[in-house]
Amino acid sequence: MAKCGPECEETLQEIERFLDHEVDEVIRVRVERHLSGCDDCTDKATFRVHLKALIQTKCAEHEVPEALKDRLRTVLSTPDPGLDPR
Amino acid sequence: MAQTAQDDRALRERFERDVLPLLPALYGAALRMTRNPADAEDLVQETYLRAYRGFAGFQEGTNLKAWLYRILTNSFINTYRKKQREPQTVEGPDDADEWYLFDRLGGQNVEGSAEDEVLDRIPDEAVKKALESLPENFRIPVLLADVEGFSYKEIAEIMDTPIGTVMSRLHRGRKALERVLWQTAEERGLVDG
Repeated sequence: MAKCGPECEETLQEIERFLDHEVDEVIRVRVERHLSGCDDCTDKATFRVHLKALIQTKCAEHEVPEALKDRLRTVLSTPDPGLDPR
Repeated sequence: MAQTAQDDRALRERFERDVLPLLPALYGAALRMTRNPADAEDLVQETYLRAYRGFAGFQEGTNLKAWLYRILTNSFINTYRKKQREPQTVEGPDDADEWYLFDRLGGQNVEGSAEDEVLDRIPDEAVKKALESLPENFRIPVLLADVEGFSYKEIAEIMDTPIGTVMSRLHRGRKALERVLWQTAEERGLVDG
């Protein structure tokens, strides 16, 4: 694999925002073009994508306890629900 | 115009129709914020009530999810921050160590065990704990970006923080999370320390 050059450095500097879909069109195209020809940077980008997906799946929504659903149904039925019912 | 019972009912129906589907995500976020089910339930209830009270003024068609998360985050910060004593800084890898986890996992060199597979073997509960171990200032942006998929701009609005602050906390929070995940993998014998 090729040694890390200035183009890699530039790409890796943008990679977090790129993967968050927070870069403008010009940078997006530049990063994509570089990634398509650089295995090293692609490995790193793929790793970050995977890591993000992992955090998403493993930390995402949780089944809502029945008791909480019941509580929520009840609070809306109360004409003027207090903010701190504890 | 005075609000009639019919208006109330229509509002409540619209509220339940729009908000209930977001409840599992809200509850999950509340769990990651408060780090315990009892506080998470109270936080969701408080958010739900505050949202219901403000719902008449909420513009249909604007971002309901972001609006709810803003209420959730504010309620959390106002109610629970005082209760939870925790450090407000993170110990992340230093700036030179941009690829902390990638470099370490890549150095493992186990046959058939790429970086990604090591990560996959960390149990869900341990990944949750890793996220929960981050101080709130870093945990919330990572949660909002990586778990809930909000944009930087949305996170800035939800947290009432400048976008530059969001970006730097998100970056540092992710790096700190990599460090905790590495420790977790080591402790569980998934990698050679």
